[in-house]
Amino acid sequence: MSPQPQAAVGAPLSRVDGRLKVTGEARYAAEFDVDGVVHAVIVDASIGRGRITGVDTDAALAHPGVLRVIHHGNAPTLPYRDNPGSNNLPGRRLRVFQDDRVLFHGQPVAVVVATTLEAAQHGASLVKVGYDAERPTTDLAEGEPGRPANYARGDVEAGLRDADVRLDLTYRMARNHHNPMETHATIARWDGNRLTVWDKTQWVPGTQTELSTVFDVPPDSVRVINPFVGGAFGSGLRCWPHTVVAALAARETGRPVKLVLTRKQMYYGTGFRPAYEYRLRLGGDRNGRLVAADHGIDAETSSYETFTEAVMSPGQMLYSTPGVRQAYRTVPLDVNSPIWMRGPGAATGSYVIESAMDELAHELGIDPIELRRRNEPAQDPSDNAPFSTRRLLECYTVGAREFGWDRRKQSPRSTRDGDWLIGMGMAAGVYHTAVAPARTRARLNADGTAVIESATSDMGPGTYTSQTQVAADALGLAVRAVDFRLGDSRYPQTPPHGGSMTMASIGSATLDVCDQLRRQAIELAVGDEESPLHGVSPDDVVVRGGRLHVQGNPTRGETYQRLLTRNDRARLEAEASFSPPRGERRSISAYSAVFTEVAVDATLGLVRVRRMLAVYDAGRIISPKLADSQAIGGMVGGIGAALLEHTVTDHRDGRIANAGLADYLVPVNADVPDLRAIYLEGEDYEADPIGVKGLGEVVIVGVAPAIANAVFNATGRRIRELPITAEALL
Amino acid sequence: MHPFAYTRASGTREALDAGRRGGRYIAGGTTLVDLMRETVERPGNLVDISGLPLREVSVTERGGLRVGALVTMAQTAAHPKVRTLYPVISQALELSASAQLRNMATIGGNIMQRTRCTYFRDVTADCNKRDPGSGCAALHGFNRTHAVLGTTDSCVATHPSDVAVAFAALEATVHLLGPDGKRGVPFADFLLRPGNTPHREHAIRQGELITAVEIPALPRPLRSGYLKVRDRQSYEFALTSAAVALHMRGGVIREARVAAGGVGTVPWKLPAVERHLVGERPSDALWTAAAEKAAEGARPLENNRFKVELLKRTVERQLRVVGGTK
Repeated sequence: MSPQPQAAVGAPLSRVDGRLKVTGEARYAAEFDVDGVVHAVIVDASIGRGRITGVDTDAALAHPGVLRVIHHGNAPTLPYRDNPGSNNLPGRRLRVFQDDRVLFHGQPVAVVVATTLEAAQHGASLVKVGYDAERPTTDLAEGEPGRPANYARGDVEAGLRDADVRLDLTYRMARNHHNPMETHATIARWDGNRLTVWDKTQWVPGTQTELSTVFDVPPDSVRVINPFVGGAFGSGLRCWPHTVVAALAARETGRPVKLVLTRKQMYYGTGFRPAYEYRLRLGGDRNGRLVAADHGIDAETSSYETFTEAVMSPGQMLYSTPGVRQAYRTVPLDVNSPIWMRGPGAATGSYVIESAMDELAHELGIDPIELRRRNEPAQDPSDNAPFSTRRLLECYTVGAREFGWDRRKQSPRSTRDGDWLIGMGMAAGVYHTAVAPARTRARLNADGTAVIESATSDMGPGTYTSQTQVAADALGLAVRAVDFRLGDSRYPQTPPHGGSMTMASIGSATLDVCDQLRRQAIELAVGDEESPLHGVSPDDVVVRGGRLHVQGNPTRGETYQRLLTRNDRARLEAEASFSPPRGERRSISAYSAVFTEVAVDATLGLVRVRRMLAVYDAGRIISPKLADSQAIGGMVGGIGAALLEHTVTDHRDGRIANAGLADYLVPVNADVPDLRAIYLEGEDYEADPIGVKGLGEVVIVGVAPAIANAVFNATGRRIRELPITAEALL
Repeated sequence: MHPFAYTRASGTREALDAGRRGGRYIAGGTTLVDLMRETVERPGNLVDISGLPLREVSVTERGGLRVGALVTMAQTAAHPKVRTLYPVISQALELSASAQLRNMATIGGNIMQRTRCTYFRDVTADCNKRDPGSGCAALHGFNRTHAVLGTTDSCVATHPSDVAVAFAALEATVHLLGPDGKRGVPFADFLLRPGNTPHREHAIRQGELITAVEIPALPRPLRSGYLKVRDRQSYEFALTSAAVALHMRGGVIREARVAAGGVGTVPWKLPAVERHLVGERPSDALWTAAAEKAAEGARPLENNRFKVELLKRTVERQLRVVGGTK
């Protein structure tokens, strides 16, 4: 930890980019003014599987303003070199306009480029595509599963056979789409063999390498720019086909091309959280100790790529269970590929585990929190690694106290308020802490300001703000004197902005680079005969408000400005490269306990969340106001998954029947009650040098099962399918 | 969006002339523009009628209420006469759409809004309403939100309006002005059931303009209210809804007006429920027995079977809320 005083870190700052956002000055991918830009609109396949027999472009080309229609019949062959190290999934990525195959409904089959958006849109509606349609398989229950990923420990069969209590439960979770506010968009421009794209992404370097491999140009001749992201929740974790379409259209027309997906196209073009069927056989003893668990997990993937996520993890490590067996099977279907969505795997796995724990608690007549306490492991049960920090029991204690858990009646259907049945439920949440190599560079200017650059993103968690806070403290500068820049592939390389690893990874690199700069300045001062700090031990110098001084003696010192000016140094510069330490093996995760109260109108099948409180063991909180924003967002997302969100596929032709925000329901303000987040004070320096465990993912984990458990407590009805809708409760 | 011409009508005569020549009227545009973007609607000529003098709410000579076609949903809901005389109308409006939409959308446009059936709104899907003879993708497709009453194999789409359910219950009249003069159409005849011509949705003749919706005077005191059952608490269409108005004197129900929404191909008047109520004294048993008749003739589909039971419960609940007891 830095010897510097911590003034900015931990302070409830508002977003440093808030003003830009609310005044419209923050520029998103589609908003860059690029000279001579023309517009592209994708034509989507209207069949679920089959072949294209013909593309009639005459009417489209005859429409005024239409420049070009590109499809498999006239598109150039694209190199599509392998792209190892990318977020491309195992399999063969969708190659745009390279053949006549239709792999899923909504697949791009042509693109119309025109001088205006209106002409491109109308032109797209005039393209007539002929198909030889086959019946697609899009139903998880009808697909042929692939080979499972397996995990096993202990003797599951014996454990289940000898258990005092056995549960055999099957849960189903609907497919969910990310639905960020900003639709995905790309502007692409070629200058000779150099490509510049303004692209909505959570991983600027990822889009850079993908485009470089698709078009077979050197990575450094591709520049990706994306300073602001209007939400993504995972949809921007890989470079999608539409970005290639935009770059291809730009190359073919010789004009900069802007391509903005429609909301409907987002349902076919930027991934989703797959639907699951998850069977759990659980055995426990009379005292509530788990003895064995057998997990059979089936999930959607596409026919051309295999998507997996950490859905097995909660079942392996959340509770002490001697016997665990898991088989995770992906089922290839005629759908587009899934992608990670907030709390990937963990949100799904914990829904099942936490619902089942509630069922077991009810079966045994044990309080759900007490049941969890009895199964709290001393070390990670999956691999016996010691926990860095695991404060789940504290989460329960604090949460129960603050929520008023003691007012919960154990027996379901015991509390009524007019037509409403009232119930309380809780669930635990976990998300593993990921860190990845990350780079930053920084300069300290003679005017006493600093600039830090990194290719990371800010899809909403507040990267700009939290990194500024870390930098400001490490440099001893006011927040306003620090300019943190991101979202440009010319900046130092970073991992994907996802998996809750941005704060830990980029934050550690930011801390390092700023520590280096500060030390450079201190070294310069203590070695400078004209400095009041001359001869002082560098370890005894701190910086505050841009002024270096002897620790404990603020009068002896000088400003960065004065020091650099006197030494004729326009700036000091540094670069940092953070690599996750390879120390002793540790189990490092963020944890949560989520509590909620729901009201259920059992006559009309309505569920209303009345209040929710969650306690997080997430390590150090850098930016409390932004943490609250994350936590509330996660809880709202969890309410959506529990009660509303459900992508509906028409299995006859693979069409998504509710591909739009009028029909795919997300919570509105009226659905979101009093939400409260509490963070256990502390830090975890085994996780990373800045002591954080990640927050953005864990905040959605556990929300849906807490709601489902509360619905049971209210009604006595156990709904094992998400979302919980009116018809399930009638 | 297909190319189109746009003109603003400066007066009623000009509007009617344009309408007679095939122009499509547009006021708030909250439905039409959406559908044009999806190319479901492809009008060649839009005639903006928002400047016409149809913005008044007035009490009729007989004590009913006349709401001009261009009065917005928000203005109607907030109007003191509407609030005091027909709470069911205010409630139905305030439970509709969003505040922004209610500020734009007009009463005339509201009752003309087209179904939310996702297959109707997706031009690549079969839909007899959009493309007569192409078939109905919803009949064996995803039809959770679709109708259980008044359906045919040609069409199972619901009418989405809430306030139209209140108008149906209250037996409103739609006033039209056309080349041949004025006429009034009873609400029950205004919106058409699909039959085998689901593309014909209303009784308006070419070039006719809605000028007002008139709610007849009803005996006072009149209690009324609207219940909307939906997946989320705001900004969502009804799974089921019930508009109820009751006139009680001497502890006996003398007049009953009941209609349901979210379940019918048009707002669904429930005369059997009304008949069961008239002459009876309010009681929970009465509400239950009357509501039993709400789903008579229902023809559920694969995904909306629950609506049959939910409809009865919705009507029962709203009868109790409006009529009292318990």
